Amino acid sequence: MKPFDYHSPRSLPEACLLLAELGAEAKILAGGTDVLVEMRKPGSYSSKAVVDITRISSLKGIGESGDAILIGPLTTHAEIFHSRIVEQYAPLLKAAVAGIGSPQIRNRGTVGGNLMNAAACADTVPPLLALNATIKLLSSKGERSIALSDFFIKPYATVAQRDEILVEIRFPKLPANARSSFVKLGRRNALSIARLSVAAILVKSDAGVITDARIVTGAAFPKWQRVLEAEKVLIGQKPSRELFDAAGKKVSEALISFTGRRWSTEYKEPVIAVLVRRSLEACQ
Amino acid sequence: MKNVLIKTTINGKQVELDVRPNMTLLDFLRDEMGLTGTKRGCEVGECGACTVLLNGQAVNSCLILVPQIDGQEILTVEGLAQGEKLHPLQESFLDHDAVHCGFCTPGMLISAKALLDHTPDPSEEETRVAISGNLCRCSGYQQIVDAIRETKHVGES
Ligand SMILES: Cc1cc2nc3c(=O)[nH]c(=O)nc-3n(C[C@H](O)[C@H](O)[C@H](O)COP(=O)(O)OP(=O)(O)OC[C@H]3O[C@@H](n4cnc5c(N)ncnc54)[C@H](O)[C@@H]3O)c2cc1C
Ligand code: FES
Ligand code: FES
Repeated sequence: MKPFDYHSPRSLPEACLLLAELGAEAKILAGGTDVLVEMRKPGSYSSKAVVDITRISSLKGIGESGDAILIGPLTTHAEIFHSRIVEQYAPLLKAAVAGIGSPQIRNRGTVGGNLMNAAACADTVPPLLALNATIKLLSSKGERSIALSDFFIKPYATVAQRDEILVEIRFPKLPANARSSFVKLGRRNALSIARLSVAAILVKSDAGVITDARIVTGAAFPKWQRVLEAEKVLIGQKPSRELFDAAGKKVSEALISFTGRRWSTEYKEPVIAVLVRRSLEACQ
Repeated sequence: MKNVLIKTTINGKQVELDVRPNMTLLDFLRDEMGLTGTKRGCEVGECGACTVLLNGQAVNSCLILVPQIDGQEILTVEGLAQGEKLHPLQESFLDHDAVHCGFCTPGMLISAKALLDHTPDPSEEETRVAISGNLCRCSGYQQIVDAIRETKHVGES
């Protein structure tokens, strides 16, 4: 590993000052499960300074505020998995973190690192987009809140500046009658980085009619987004296999209109349709 | 590059050291502390050979910078036995022929300890999940799973 200076600020103001001073020389370190892998690659970036934010305790933990759930970026995947609040109000997020890496990775890797790293296969992104999450970024210049749907530019690129710290993730609680799911296809069960995944939420009226539907695919589109065309197919209808197949087909069509046909389309087109159907069936 | 002073507890012993920050916990344990029971495998978090307990949780020591363990507690495979007396998990691994070449064993033992500390009587499924981050190229896993599930008298170490 190339040499660097190590800083471990104890508070957010201290961290912001450091990042302002160090500018482009600094690299933020959270759980390190992406950063350490990256730092060791031959010819990788050489940050002259590492700013370890894991001592800032205010960035940890899961809480409620009225109808919203707040998650600190340093919350690990294991902590999210064991959270009662997440289980009750955002079970699809629990399902997503359950499949991340291995126990060792889940004990260290954080949700903030997962979002900021912005890999195409980041497993917390589809559920958090489906949950209509917003995030807060902080730097010495101030704080801003943005919708997660406006945050990603493309894989590994976000609108965050280098000196900005992700300080909060927030989303509305799912209503009691909502059902949600996360399904993923990987190469191997443990340690599988998702190649394709789907997060889905369905809300039905007492009469069994779908009143709200949200579908987000992971690692399929060049940019994450809710697939509104497919969601529209579902609203006002009663669940059936045909309906879910139709929604799956819409997602495939949207994928192709977005990316054009390319080498992986042959595989992704039918697979994503089936995965969408399965994720909707899992919302029953 | 400035050195960083760390105070940490490794296998129950307090240590205070001035360290280079650009070193992983894995390199520190093996090269500086001489604790070579923790194995160096992939160094990218995939094989689990480097697994240690950090405040009681299984982690990959290849993905931790050594200054990050300041104020924390580490347990490596060397800390399992009490003198000449093997840890019950180690006895059970021997009884079940769960050690072949042995390269994965330290990591397996540590992941198993993390499991048994919270779940004294794990199911087959729970056991397989607990060691899902530990690769073994020899055993086919079944002996390891059996050894963990049939470990006697845990909880006293
Ligand atoms: C073996 C292995 C398996 C994996 N499997 C999966 C998987 O199945 N699914 C999956 O989604 N991911 C997987 N990952 C990737 C990784 O574990 C996750 O992305 C993890 O959530 C990253 O979090 P971290 O805290 O370790 O981030 P770090 O490595 O500490 O940081 C990641 C990036 O985010 C930045 N950053 C971190 N926190 C903040 C913050 N609060 N504010 C600003 N910037 C910040 C860092 O500067 C860095 O650029 C795997 C990794 C490994 C090594
Ligand atoms: S050496 Fe750390 S996981 Fe392989
Ligand atoms: S015993 Fe050889 S790798 Fe497991």
